Amino acid sequence: MPNAQKRQAQRFGTRTIVTVLIFIVILFVLLSSVYIVDQTEQAVVLRFGRYARLSEPGLHFKMFFPIERKYKVPTQVVLKEEFGFRTERAGVATIYSALDFPDESVMLTGDLNIVDVEWIIQYRIVDPMKWLFKVEDQRKTIKDISQSIINLLVGDRAIFDVIGAEREMIQMQGQRMMNELFDKYELGIRVTTVKLQNIVPPKGAVQNAFEDVNKAIQDRSRLINEGKQAYNEAIPKAKGEAERVIQDAEGYAVERVNRAEGDVARFLNVLEEFNRNPQVTRTRLYYEMFEEVFLEGEKTDLIDKNLKNFVPFKSLGEGRTGGAQ
Amino acid sequence: MKKFFIIFGIIIVALIIILAGGPLFVVQEGRQAVIIRFGKIIRVETDAGLKVKTPFVDRVRKYTKRIQSWDGEAQRLPTAENQFIWVDTTARWLINDAKKFYESVQTVEQAHSRLDDVIDSEVRKIISRNSLREAVRDSNVINAIERRDVYQTTTTEEESVEMPVSLTMYTETKYEDIEKGRSELSDEMLAEAKKVTPQYGITLIDIVVRQIKYSDDLTESVYNRMIKERNQIAQAFRSDGEGKKAVWVGKMEKERRSIQSGAYREAESIKGEADARAAAIYAEAYRKNPEFYAFWKSVESYRKMLPKFNKTLTTEPDYFNYLYNFQGRR
Repeated sequence: MPNAQKRQAQRFGTRTIVTVLIFIVILFVLLSSVYIVDQTEQAVVLRFGRYARLSEPGLHFKMFFPIERKYKVPTQVVLKEEFGFRTERAGVATIYSALDFPDESVMLTGDLNIVDVEWIIQYRIVDPMKWLFKVEDQRKTIKDISQSIINLLVGDRAIFDVIGAEREMIQMQGQRMMNELFDKYELGIRVTTVKLQNIVPPKGAVQNAFEDVNKAIQDRSRLINEGKQAYNEAIPKAKGEAERVIQDAEGYAVERVNRAEGDVARFLNVLEEFNRNPQVTRTRLYYEMFEEVFLEGEKTDLIDKNLKNFVPFKSLGEGRTGGAQ
Repeated sequence: MKKFFIIFGIIIVALIIILAGGPLFVVQEGRQAVIIRFGKIIRVETDAGLKVKTPFVDRVRKYTKRIQSWDGEAQRLPTAENQFIWVDTTARWLINDAKKFYESVQTVEQAHSRLDDVIDSEVRKIISRNSLREAVRDSNVINAIERRDVYQTTTTEEESVEMPVSLTMYTETKYEDIEKGRSELSDEMLAEAKKVTPQYGITLIDIVVRQIKYSDDLTESVYNRMIKERNQIAQAFRSDGEGKKAVWVGKMEKERRSIQSGAYREAESIKGEADARAAAIYAEAYRKNPEFYAFWKSVESYRKMLPKFNKTLTTEPDYFNYLYNFQGRR
């Protein structure tokens, strides 16, 4: 030992050094023998590396460090993995990362089309012992398997099945298959949810083409409605017009019969009179008619019936004959 | 008191020596240890716990017992029909024989590199032997899925508009059946690779295809095909709309004509009936004295018609009977 240190040790005294050492050791022992397990957790305690016991939430004691070690595992927390997107900050208005993750989300469908699928899985650690000591890189394993299974299920279906009706099926089957595999690896987790979020055709022209189909469906409804509208516009009108034509005809019919009956009534009355005094009536009717016809209008030319070869002078000029009245 | 301090100090020193290179070592859960004495493996500890070794002579090499992931680079591979696809595989493996593992590969990095060789070549072999659809699909479930109302065209409340006939080709397509499927291909890869790995003390648990993608040039042509296909579908919907509209317009035309002609028919028969009745009424009355009727009708008719003529009279009519003769013309 160098002289300087010897002097220093003598100044403080061996006692002091040992006291400090003891203090540090006691502190270390105390700190490493008390631990708290949160409500959301369980803790696995290993004695000399070997499984000793499982601690439930609460305050616990164990042997100090090299002898016993504890590993806390959040068994009550629902853990989540995201595929094809990342939540940047969850909140009332959750912010998603602007980045895409095509390495996760681009897949081939069974009809050899390309589709972009985003999904999440949720899981809980059910066996802390297995979780800790059966599989390395637990999160990576979970991600790899989840990805391969969703890929497989999507690859087994046609693109519009994936986008549409088979979504539920993929979720259900995906969850079942993931659990089977994780059980096989003894990963000690249970997948509680597999949820497909966004299933879209590849961005850009392809997506536009898909959009256009939706527009076409709308166009189709619109066209059909236009047809119906034209129909609904024309037919009631035509029906009304038809009704009018019939009403018209009925009016005509009533009028025709009424007129006939009127004419006949008049005729019959005159006939009755005629039967009583045939000659007089006949003459009267005749003269009345004659008067009526020739009274009105322009003056009429009168020519004696015995004048043969008479050329009507009307055609010769505008002069007038007084006639023989 | 002084004694106590001395004893305590000795304990601490002893502890430090034990921890440094002493006869005790810990094998944790999930790990295993190979004990090497002078370069020779004398023992493998696979159970967890406190173990003993000869201090300063035995060396301990610890390996994990846990399942590990192997993650290869995505490979661009040709399928049986010579289409290039990117295949990304992962595998899970564990060290089942630490002795062999120590002898043949020593480190996990080395193990990964061996696995790279084995698995990559198996993947390449299996993929190139099979068609694209065998690698993409897993079963023939694609043909079992019932596709109804894929486009959710039930737009109106009162009637569900059926899908355009021209589109049933897309929903009723039968896809070629596959024989193996992706899982079986994976199993084939695994079976082959498994034959090699025991010599490294490694057990392969599985090989799974994580992702299959088209190569870039293929992607472009697939995009174009998808776009074409969608365009056709869109066109089918629009044409169908036009067609259905024309049907409505035709129906409208037909009904309008039938309504109009029906009305005409009814109107005419009503009128005809009335005409007949009027005729009957006239006939019934005029029959009573045809001669007088002729006279009467003539008189009525003259009254009506004569004012329309230009008139030049001769003295011929009976009207003038008394004009030349007060006794009347004979």
